[in-house]
Amino acid sequence: MGASLPPKEANLFKLIVKSYETKQYKKGLKAADSILKKFPEHGETLAMKGLTLNCMDRKPEAYELVRQGLKNDLKSHVCWHVYGLLYRSDREYREAIKCYRNALRIDPDNIEILRDLSLLQAQMRDLTGFVETRQQLLSLKPNHRMNWIGFAVAHHLTSNASKAVEILEAYEGTLEDDYPPDNERCEHGEMLLYKISLLEECGFLERALEELRKKESKIVEKLAYKEQEASLLLKLGRLEEGEKLHRALLFMNPDNYRYYEGLQKCVGLYSEKSQFSPDEIDRLDILYKSLEQQYQASSAVKRIPLDFLQGDRFLEAAENYIRPLLTKGVPSLFSDLSPLYDHPGKADILEQLMLKLEHSIRTTSRYPGRVEKEPPSTLMWALFLLAQHYDRRGQYDVALSKIDEAIEHTPTVIDLYSVKSRILKHAGDLAAAAALADEARGMDLADRYINSDCVKRMLQADQVALAEKTAVLFTKDGDQHNNLHDMQCMWYELASGESYFRQGDLGRALKKFLAVEKHYADITEDQFDFHSYCLRKMTLRAYVEMLRFQDRLHSHAYFHKAAAGAIRCYLKLYDSPPKSTTEEDDDMSKMPASQKKKLRQKQRKAEARAKKEAEEKHEESSAAGASKPGKRHIKPVDPDPHGEKLLQIEDPLQEATKYLKLLQKNSPNSLETQLLSFELNMRKQKILLAFQAVKQLLKLDAEHPDSHRCLIKFFHKARSMAAPVTDTEKLIWSVLEAERPTISQLHEKSLIKGNEIFLERHKDSLMHRAAAAEMLYVLEPDRKSEAIRLIEESSNNMVAKKGALGPVGEWKLKDCITVHKLLGTVLNDEEAALRWKLRCAECFPYSTYFEGRCSSVVPNSAYNQIRKKSENGSANHSEGGETRDSVASNGRLEAFKGLTI
Amino acid sequence: MVCIRKATTDDLLAMQTCNHLCLPENFHMKYYLYHILSWPQLLYVAEDNNGHIVGYVLAKVEEESNVCHGHITSLAVLRTHRKLGLATKLMNAAQNAMVQVFGAEYVSLHVRKSNRAAFNLYAETLGYKIHDVKAKYYADGEDAYDMRKKLKGKQIHHHNDHGRHGHGHAHAIGGGCCSSAEAKVSGKKETKAT
Repeated sequence: MGASLPPKEANLFKLIVKSYETKQYKKGLKAADSILKKFPEHGETLAMKGLTLNCMDRKPEAYELVRQGLKNDLKSHVCWHVYGLLYRSDREYREAIKCYRNALRIDPDNIEILRDLSLLQAQMRDLTGFVETRQQLLSLKPNHRMNWIGFAVAHHLTSNASKAVEILEAYEGTLEDDYPPDNERCEHGEMLLYKISLLEECGFLERALEELRKKESKIVEKLAYKEQEASLLLKLGRLEEGEKLHRALLFMNPDNYRYYEGLQKCVGLYSEKSQFSPDEIDRLDILYKSLEQQYQASSAVKRIPLDFLQGDRFLEAAENYIRPLLTKGVPSLFSDLSPLYDHPGKADILEQLMLKLEHSIRTTSRYPGRVEKEPPSTLMWALFLLAQHYDRRGQYDVALSKIDEAIEHTPTVIDLYSVKSRILKHAGDLAAAAALADEARGMDLADRYINSDCVKRMLQADQVALAEKTAVLFTKDGDQHNNLHDMQCMWYELASGESYFRQGDLGRALKKFLAVEKHYADITEDQFDFHSYCLRKMTLRAYVEMLRFQDRLHSHAYFHKAAAGAIRCYLKLYDSPPKSTTEEDDDMSKMPASQKKKLRQKQRKAEARAKKEAEEKHEESSAAGASKPGKRHIKPVDPDPHGEKLLQIEDPLQEATKYLKLLQKNSPNSLETQLLSFELNMRKQKILLAFQAVKQLLKLDAEHPDSHRCLIKFFHKARSMAAPVTDTEKLIWSVLEAERPTISQLHEKSLIKGNEIFLERHKDSLMHRAAAAEMLYVLEPDRKSEAIRLIEESSNNMVAKKGALGPVGEWKLKDCITVHKLLGTVLNDEEAALRWKLRCAECFPYSTYFEGRCSSVVPNSAYNQIRKKSENGSANHSEGGETRDSVASNGRLEAFKGLTI
Repeated sequence: MVCIRKATTDDLLAMQTCNHLCLPENFHMKYYLYHILSWPQLLYVAEDNNGHIVGYVLAKVEEESNVCHGHITSLAVLRTHRKLGLATKLMNAAQNAMVQVFGAEYVSLHVRKSNRAAFNLYAETLGYKIHDVKAKYYADGEDAYDMRKKLKGKQIHHHNDHGRHGHGHAHAIGGGCCSSAEAKVSGKKETKAT
């Protein structure tokens, strides 16, 4: 480095490097400048100066200098290395790898560059390259522990776990017998556990167990030791030993369900789907009764039997389980029981049981057959449980009467309001749900959980501005008003994006969806620092687990929602592009002059106000920043806070394709991914890709209404295409010709016939009828009235329920809303839509969408009567009740405003 | 009812959501990664029957000073899952691992002066004592109690307190959610992983 310089300058060059490493950039800069005074063309100095400037936020200069330096000294590995570091700092890893490779061509054994290269290869999952580099590092420096470990991990990542074991054992061979010293015991123990997990992964179970026991004294983490031993014993079928060990684990933590599962496996009483013979149930019952004696404080041991017991024994166990929890007032009791509703018959038993307990307490203040009196709160918790039960069963009127009685019983319990809010949401009154949640929030302003719950309900009710105002009560971070985005608060961003989307504000919706996408990119980036850190820390099991987690990061539900949301925005943007300014002028030209003037004035005023606000905010933040010298980073002002620029994208379909690719790669088995692929590719005229989506849909769920829609739409569209002219078109044509007979739904059938058969097969289902009706109209527009009749002749069959208090129709509110929109838009029949609305208002009396008689849009609904009575008193942030933003200006909210407490 | 187990990397996103819902002190994902990649033994979650993460504890070990000690970075339990003793169970699990794996001599944490429910849990159920008051520790200017609890010191065999505390009496007293977090860093803290 700096070899070509005279001694004085060579020393200065060393100073630049040292200053860079110790972050004394000004000093480094000075040294560089004094070299450059004498040798203005010196490549390595130019490059180092560039790298230093890069750290001082002078990026453009940095790139220029580094490139200039490299040009002046192409044979210098320093210049290439620096160029690589520069790219690395900008996350341009592929470019950085190229630079490092060039540097290594000049200086193949440069440890530092090899190490930097290996980190990038791990990050980019260039695993073959990673193995090579790690091998080179090990052969250059075999006395470094990290190099052995790195080489082993590299092999593990290329699915060669047995090679990894060999390397670790070779490494152990280099150690003294009394290794490790006290201060390295943890690390060494971790390495051993990693090696044993590798042996297990290879299927060398005997060897793994032997090694584990041999090294017991050197493995520090005893819990991991025992868990590993238990897993091996189970896999080896050494069940007696396994049973003993699982019992020992349960003794340590009787709340870990996995230990119970392991124990059941060891005693031959395990079934993945919890299906047991009567004899097995008897034995399980005995097992858990004895465990219950041992672990009285464990709640798991009492709850698990409810999963396998049936009939009367289930009833008895459920009663014993529920009683003390009601007495104690455990709010999560219902959610704890809710998986049982999927077991046939158990929901009915639970309903009977809950009613029995409620009746007994109400009439005698005692549980049946008991002498001791229950405290008054038991009745309230019983009502609370029943309300949630009826909510789950869709009997919202009963659910509400139960929860109202509970509130009347004890008006101070916050959970009651939260549950009432949830019932109202399910019943379709989103505004009332939000108001209830806000009331709950007001009862304990210091609790962020009820604040979050309230924000969620407000967003569901499309009160975005109010929701944000409420959320930021907990997000003040110094001078920063709202750190929801900075703190990666994704649930909020998604819920807010979805609300904006519903309201047609695509810019803001996109802004939120893309923010979530950005968080995921940042999380991918986050792993970079850990590639070297974990090799040093020796947390190798956690490290490999983390890499695998990162590899499937984008299949996580939040990412899926964000990407799907963004694609929908782009599709909508393509279908109805925002009006250009000239078109807007056209609109205005139709207005009378006076109105035009008013509108222009209004716009100008709004613009001025927004500008002033932004400036004030900016001044505030920079003032605060200046007063706190510790805070170096002043957050740059977002130039596009409302996502308006996002809407000015040239090719929305191209943007959407980016996100679709991520979905296809990470959640190919989601119906939604394939639906979006269909919609997008149809618009892009990518016929074969759209066809692929159709085939995937059929594979995933051929009977789904949307799969059917796509199938019919696709072939209908294909039929209407002009006869093929170009070779490509002919090719596409022939592929479709060849493929169509393979689709059983359309085999030797016309589309019309295929649609009829689909309808026949699903004629009792509303959503299937709606799909068939829509397709009928698409195929034969003149049969529109028949299509509408198909929908209108659907009936809301009662779900047969033994013992249920009131009958419930099987229609779902969400579906009915979809059908209403279908009638109003695609089928475009306002009268039919109105008829549908009136009918649904009967079925869903709490629905604000259908303006049901009990919903908050109806001024004299029972709900509003109660609200008016209790208007005084409760705490509320009244100024928040007014939503200045007109985004929430739908009629529902307006109607509701007067009611805010 | 609720499963108490060691956290895995796959739990981190759900832990972050749980933290966002419950506490004002939030962290970047990188800070969670830093914890699990440094002290994988000290992260525990409470998972309900529906597979949802309803509580977690995020803890670490301070190795720099001459006395090795543990620190609770953050603890949260959803309000809906109070009265199950989850906070106590999570704390005990993390504390036990601190002693068993790292030989920690004591464990420290910070709690808002106004958070009575959490304070009671720490002081009464878990045996923490006020060690110091940190003025304006939190971003909104509130003071923190710096609380500490002596652990059993270095030992070889794993003793475990699980279940000996009965069901979270602390929650029954206060309600609300128990929390402690390093508000000052609020996730902006760079991990030491570089």
